[in-house]
Amino acid sequence: MNQALAKLCFVAVVCIGLTPLGTAQDDAELRPAAEETKPVPVLSGGAAFVPTWDSGNPVMVSIISPVLLVPVNRNLIFESRAEFEGDFVRRNGNSGDFTGAVEKSLEYAEFDYIGNKYVTFTVGRFLTPFNIFNERLYPNWIRNTQTDPLIYPIGTGSDNGLMVRGGVSLTKSVTLNYAAYFSALSTIDHFESERHAGIRAGLFFPHRRLEIGVSEQHQLQDSRFNRFGSYLQWQPVRLAFDLRAEGAYSREEGSGLWVEGAYRFRNAGAALWRRTQVVVRSQTFQTGTLAGINPDLPAVDTKRTEFGLNYYLTDGWKGLASYGRTFTASGNGNIWTVGMTYRFIIPLGPTR
Amino acid sequence: MKLLHTIILAATITAGVAYAGSAAEAPAPVTQSAQASANPVNPRWIAEGEKRFRINCGRCHQSPHKFQPRIMATAVRHMRVRGMLTDEDMRYVVYYVTH
Repeated sequence: MNQALAKLCFVAVVCIGLTPLGTAQDDAELRPAAEETKPVPVLSGGAAFVPTWDSGNPVMVSIISPVLLVPVNRNLIFESRAEFEGDFVRRNGNSGDFTGAVEKSLEYAEFDYIGNKYVTFTVGRFLTPFNIFNERLYPNWIRNTQTDPLIYPIGTGSDNGLMVRGGVSLTKSVTLNYAAYFSALSTIDHFESERHAGIRAGLFFPHRRLEIGVSEQHQLQDSRFNRFGSYLQWQPVRLAFDLRAEGAYSREEGSGLWVEGAYRFRNAGAALWRRTQVVVRSQTFQTGTLAGINPDLPAVDTKRTEFGLNYYLTDGWKGLASYGRTFTASGNGNIWTVGMTYRFIIPLGPTR
Repeated sequence: MKLLHTIILAATITAGVAYAGSAAEAPAPVTQSAQASANPVNPRWIAEGEKRFRINCGRCHQSPHKFQPRIMATAVRHMRVRGMLTDEDMRYVVYYVTH
């Protein structure tokens, strides 16, 4: 296992080391200055109210997720995101008033040091870079479908440790992005973390707006095992279509994939349609050899297909509704969502 | 223990490469043509920045959002780390969203 990890680290180091060769030609070109505007601390984030009916059971999902961004100096930035989520259910199942606790979690609190154009060092609590949903698509105001993918609990969450990451242009038509990390065990309340080592690497083809990538993660505590992932994201240049897909495999936990297509009627004549996006997501999950080792995953083999509608009211507000059907060996069920998301950004200092 | 040594070794090598890279890639001077210097807003950079915004930021975010320049300077820096933008992408996008 150590040899495998050493190989991964070696590959990462070689990639970082070689990238200057591929980008040297760009330096001679005219381009904007690195820093013209002094950044200001910002409080950003979002809120969501997404009532969900899963197999007839209503859950009032309410989320507030503040993001704090504090640029310390030219190369150092502190960023953190917390989440306050209340999943309120009826006191007597399908009757009575809604009740439930608000769960608080610190999703990340990290210092990022931009070493140079090829590498950024991250220390602290960070989102585990396994595939891309956890890092890029998780916030409610970004995701196209509000329910989490079935395979989301595989390899994701937050970890406390060290990470090196970056994005570099290999050529004018290919960009490499990578993240390699090591995390330590923590059982402190709200700072829970597992001992992991892993890597994620992706190739982005900007002219085709296509990104493909792979992930690998070693679990280094309790039942030691590996997780593997792959992902794809594609936005055709001439079409307001967004294709996203992820796959994850763990022999012990299980495996599965999801594919999501979203189309926005940008070229429609009426503003009503131009603000509308339709979404379809299909996914599958198969249990692993140690079913139940990850309690957040489905207990039985599951398939689900969802159809959604998003309506972008303004830059910050989004209305949504979706219907899905879940198929399992223990029974099928419907899942409905309807709600609103809101994104905000507030400066914490002078903006002029 | 071997694992820890491997991690430390990898981190050391990476830091070394990063340091070497930073020395070799010391902040490039702002290279502007005479025409660009005379014009406070470079339309070519604006166009390139918008294109890179749509290519990179548009993968997760909807239509371009513009706030005050100092806010956008922070947001783009955040996205450089989160979205793994390249240094060049960040420069053009910052220019686009702040002009």
